[in-house]
Amino acid sequence: MRALIASFALISWPGVALRAGDVEGGAAFRQDVQPILSEFCYNCHGDGQATAKVAFDRFASERELLSDRSLWWRVLKQLRAGLMPPQGEPRPTAEQLKHLEDWIKTAVFESNPRNLDPGRVTVRRLNRIEYRNTIRDLLGVNFDTDSEFPADDTGHGFDNIGDVLSLSPLLLEKYLAAAKSIIGQAVPIISGVPPEETIEGKKFRRVTQTGEQKDSDKGERYLSYYEPAVLSARYTAPHAGQYQVGVHVSAHEKFVDGVFDYNKCRLTFTVDGEALLDREFSRQDGKSFHFELDREWPAGEHELVFELTPLTPDEKQTRSLSLRIVSTTVRGPLAKEHWVRPKNYERFFSHEVPAGSDERRQYAREILEPFAIKAFRRPVEGETVERLVALAESIYTAPGQTFEAGVARAMTAVLASPRFLFREEQAELNSSAGHPYIDQYALASRLSYFFWSSMPDAELFRLAGEQKLRDNLTAQVQRLQADPRSKELTRHFIGQWLQARDIDSVNINAFAVMSRDQKPDPEMDRRRSRFRELRSKPFEALTAEEKAEVDEARKAFSSGVQRFKQYELNGELRRAMRQETELLFEYIVREDRSLLEMIDSDYTFLNERLAKHYGISDVQGGDMRRVQLLPGSPRGGVLTQGTVLAITSNPDRTSPVKRGLFILDNLLGSPPAPPPPDIPTLEDSAKKITGRTPTLREALELHRSDALCSSCHNRMDPLGLALENFNALGIFRETQSDVPIDVSGTLLTGESFRDVRELKRILVTERRLDFYRCLTEKLLTYALGRGLDYYDVATVDAIVDRLERENGRPSVLLSSIIESAPFQKRRAAAAAERLTPPAAED
Amino acid sequence: MAARVDRNERRGLSGALNVSRRQFLRGVGAAIALPAFESLRPLSVVAAEPAGAEAACVAVTATGAPLRSAFVFFPNGAIPGAWWPKEEGSDFELSRTLAPLESNRQFVQVLGGLNHQNAEPGPDGAGDHARGGGTFLTGVRLKKSATDIRAGVSIDQELARRVGQLTRLPSLELTCDSVHRSGACDSGYACAYQFNMSWSSPTTPMTPEANPRLAFERLFGAGAPGERHANMLRRRQEQRSVLDFVRGEARSMQKRLSPRDGDKLDQYLTGIREIENRIASAERFGDVKDPAVETPVGIPSNYGEYVELTYDILLLAFQSDSTRIATLLLAHDGSNRPFEDIGIFEGHHDLTHHQNRAEWIQKVSEIDLWYVRQFSKFLDKLQKTQDVDGQSLLHNSMIVYGGGNADANRHTHSNLPILLAGGGGGTLAGGRYVTHGSKPVSNLFLSLADRMGVTDLDHFGDSTGRIENI
Repeated sequence: MRALIASFALISWPGVALRAGDVEGGAAFRQDVQPILSEFCYNCHGDGQATAKVAFDRFASERELLSDRSLWWRVLKQLRAGLMPPQGEPRPTAEQLKHLEDWIKTAVFESNPRNLDPGRVTVRRLNRIEYRNTIRDLLGVNFDTDSEFPADDTGHGFDNIGDVLSLSPLLLEKYLAAAKSIIGQAVPIISGVPPEETIEGKKFRRVTQTGEQKDSDKGERYLSYYEPAVLSARYTAPHAGQYQVGVHVSAHEKFVDGVFDYNKCRLTFTVDGEALLDREFSRQDGKSFHFELDREWPAGEHELVFELTPLTPDEKQTRSLSLRIVSTTVRGPLAKEHWVRPKNYERFFSHEVPAGSDERRQYAREILEPFAIKAFRRPVEGETVERLVALAESIYTAPGQTFEAGVARAMTAVLASPRFLFREEQAELNSSAGHPYIDQYALASRLSYFFWSSMPDAELFRLAGEQKLRDNLTAQVQRLQADPRSKELTRHFIGQWLQARDIDSVNINAFAVMSRDQKPDPEMDRRRSRFRELRSKPFEALTAEEKAEVDEARKAFSSGVQRFKQYELNGELRRAMRQETELLFEYIVREDRSLLEMIDSDYTFLNERLAKHYGISDVQGGDMRRVQLLPGSPRGGVLTQGTVLAITSNPDRTSPVKRGLFILDNLLGSPPAPPPPDIPTLEDSAKKITGRTPTLREALELHRSDALCSSCHNRMDPLGLALENFNALGIFRETQSDVPIDVSGTLLTGESFRDVRELKRILVTERRLDFYRCLTEKLLTYALGRGLDYYDVATVDAIVDRLERENGRPSVLLSSIIESAPFQKRRAAAAAERLTPPAAED
Repeated sequence: MAARVDRNERRGLSGALNVSRRQFLRGVGAAIALPAFESLRPLSVVAAEPAGAEAACVAVTATGAPLRSAFVFFPNGAIPGAWWPKEEGSDFELSRTLAPLESNRQFVQVLGGLNHQNAEPGPDGAGDHARGGGTFLTGVRLKKSATDIRAGVSIDQELARRVGQLTRLPSLELTCDSVHRSGACDSGYACAYQFNMSWSSPTTPMTPEANPRLAFERLFGAGAPGERHANMLRRRQEQRSVLDFVRGEARSMQKRLSPRDGDKLDQYLTGIREIENRIASAERFGDVKDPAVETPVGIPSNYGEYVELTYDILLLAFQSDSTRIATLLLAHDGSNRPFEDIGIFEGHHDLTHHQNRAEWIQKVSEIDLWYVRQFSKFLDKLQKTQDVDGQSLLHNSMIVYGGGNADANRHTHSNLPILLAGGGGGTLAGGRYVTHGSKPVSNLFLSLADRMGVTDLDHFGDSTGRIENI
């Protein structure tokens, strides 16, 4: 029957008059492709069937079929992942598959290896990270974009995608404010200031009651509201005169819900025994305090003393109130003859400000032109420079304004300009036929933002200006990679590809997770639900007994919480976890080892804290270092790292589904379709087991038996369940609630494994090409700042082939991406019209 | 110190809360020390509005006081059984989740039977949280794409277009959701749909401000109390010279770029225009009075404090008539925040898929209750703040409080949990639970627009008419 249909399909294309050479690729389609489709696919996608709305024989014309590139791209992905034809159905031979793939790439995608379509990148706005780094490299200012700017939207998993980096009015307003604040910090607007010396809080020594000075405690100076303390430091005034002393103090507390702390303290600040400041502090909500005090001083040494006195010995001490002595700043002598150049002056102003107005304009030009070129990362036309000079002049010619202030305002305008905020790219003018190369300045920026998330440095600029960057590409790539700033690539690429960045904020409750692994405790559960019941009423409405009950329950929880506190993901542990993931990638790249070690390695990176968390002994100290794992250790590779394990968990327990999804999405590159609406719940499935609570594995099994769920869960669940030996905190376990955990499984593609070690083996052998392709796609997306499309298949395939030939070496991956057409070129203007799908332009 | 004492005395005299009472009511640490200044624009100024009689009808109450609209979004719907009151009408008993609203019940309507049909899967399949969020104030079907963003103009922005010229800020967008996860968002939808509820054009989300300090500075200027006015003036003067330069740069850059890139520059130029309008209106209205309270430090680490502080800023914005239109995204739909303060360690979103376990349902409804309690505290403060006409701020406001999923377990979008709080300047009949059949939420928005004096909107989102009886 099947053969009959196949031969029928060969001779008659429904609704199409067959004419040889009618459509390019048409003949090849009829001869080589249609028979394969007919034999293996028409059961569901032809002959009247249109499963998932795909039917290969329902197109009005061959031209239409062949031009539906998104359909064929999907076909290609399904074939490569081994998802189609589905399990249990006859499959095409390797040769037939190759045929199909080649035909899709050449006839449908029309890939021309000599002039690959580089695609088009929407002009990219600097994201928060790039902005911060660019400002640092341009002006030496550290501007905290994380708290000043809203989070950037992400697309295709990354936050540097031109299409989604929008610019709202609010953000523009913030850019204006940021420009002003940054220039305010960087560029002095006067030519002289009184000398200034800052005495950090750390320099103050504690004085004990016997008058002896202790300097053993390093670190910040926190003074508790509850204990008397005296701190002292010395300052030597170089000359007699008028001085200003600035005192900076901040208040701190540990938040405790629903409980206040009414303690107060008094802080005095004395100089040479005379009190200059005497102030009471109640609880202050993390505020900062600055005080400015004027003094007339003789030359010589002066003693500065802080003294804290508790005022409320009988109050309950609930929130660990403290004051931190941040610093004191001594400014002076204030008399003009002692003035010095402000900090940073020479960085911007090379000589005295001239008197004549032409000379001043000329001086402004000398400063502003190179600044604008650097900031815009491209040459700047004379007209823009003249407008900047005019802007500066309009300020510095106003009464009471300095020349420096005018220049600073023009610099503010530069930082607010779209040419600073967006990465403008132009094509090489004399580029040969086909898609043109991007010019050398654009290439310099692509390289520096890829490796450093920052602007090009002087050397890249120089080479771009001399048109020599392309000729020196290999050497430059090596240099960029060797620079410490290339940590940014690891941080943000790994941070987003493997979501390692999210470990900083992921919410995992150690108490909930660890108690789940213990024997069930019904008494505790009862208590907890009673606590929640009481807490859901307004506190004032509770009776005295109920209030006492709440207090008691809180105490009981806190002792439980104390027990598991050592497992909590505190800042130190989160940092170590993130570094473990980053260091693995860095090490593999630096040593040019196989990228497969990202998945399966016999070493990892630990410090004492993280090793203890993992149950690995003999690692001492806070430094992260490479640790050889014992034979048979389940660790090694990102799948068994704290970052991945925690990020793919719920706040109180693991999620095998999320973990499976993570592997499919980020390692194998074949994410399942999102769940359909009206999915039966896990519980509906679990109802089939009566008389006892099914294990998670059993519930998932039943869930998978539902046809609606099976196609995706068959792929996700075995992968995720293989990681069940690791709880949501990444801690190894063999039982859960006293029941041994079964971690064996079989992948949809047929490979069986007993545990995560065998799964890792399978991923780096049988599924190796999937991993190479997935990683290549992710890194290319990150490098280009756009999502990939069908025309990128040729580029990705070429890179995967090279990786396979050259043992998965990172140097191969990086250089192939940088040399690739999409990285080096931009789509020719004429082609842009033709190839852009209409949907994107409407 | 002297100024501080003064303020406290004034607070006592004007009948507003004194410090200890206020802190007691809050239950947690003081968010901002709210000032007791009356509305900052005297009624005479409102009456003498230069824009003429026609404009005077827009966003004002019958007495000429400002009329405000706010839209507050809470994530992941609400457990229907605990949300909906049992009987309709004015004599109804508040449900368990809505119980905290008792003290302001005369100003609260529970609206039943409102739907967002465009949040249903339809042909788009999965992504109910992205749609729940992105559709909530737009009423349109979102384009399902990770990068090619297309929503619709949201109702607050439609209102701001017509009302915005009356105040220094046309609108204010706030959020208590500051951390965005890496990776993809909901099922192939751009993250922008979930993290923005306000849209000034189908492609331009109005990024909400997540940092209370920055929101405060936007309203009142940077610096210590007393310095803010001068700082604002200086900033405006500086902005003007910078804006002139960058407008020229943007135009010349736009000529060099392709049309798709040009859209980005359009966003930039729109931003410039908006800032210029703002400067112009600030000059027209004169400057806002300095509220003479300390600027908030930043984002509190405790979520309850964060939410309360953000509500406080919203209150200050209305009280000072800095804007009459505001949105507050408490958390994006799909938010998986645990609520450890109330003993809930699991993530909110995960719990909503409760598999009908009584314990999980109970926990979700406690989270719903927690959100309502925060909202109720906000209403309390609005009720206790006097407006120019002697009425309360609550009387002169319309506040929609709702979510984009009805039953988040099943991802339904009909009979959405929606409250309408405030007196609408006397135009809203509160204290009732009314079911409106099965109507688009967009119809409600049109009815609110009418009350704002925005009468030229025949149609909004998927509206089929207006909602009577509110």
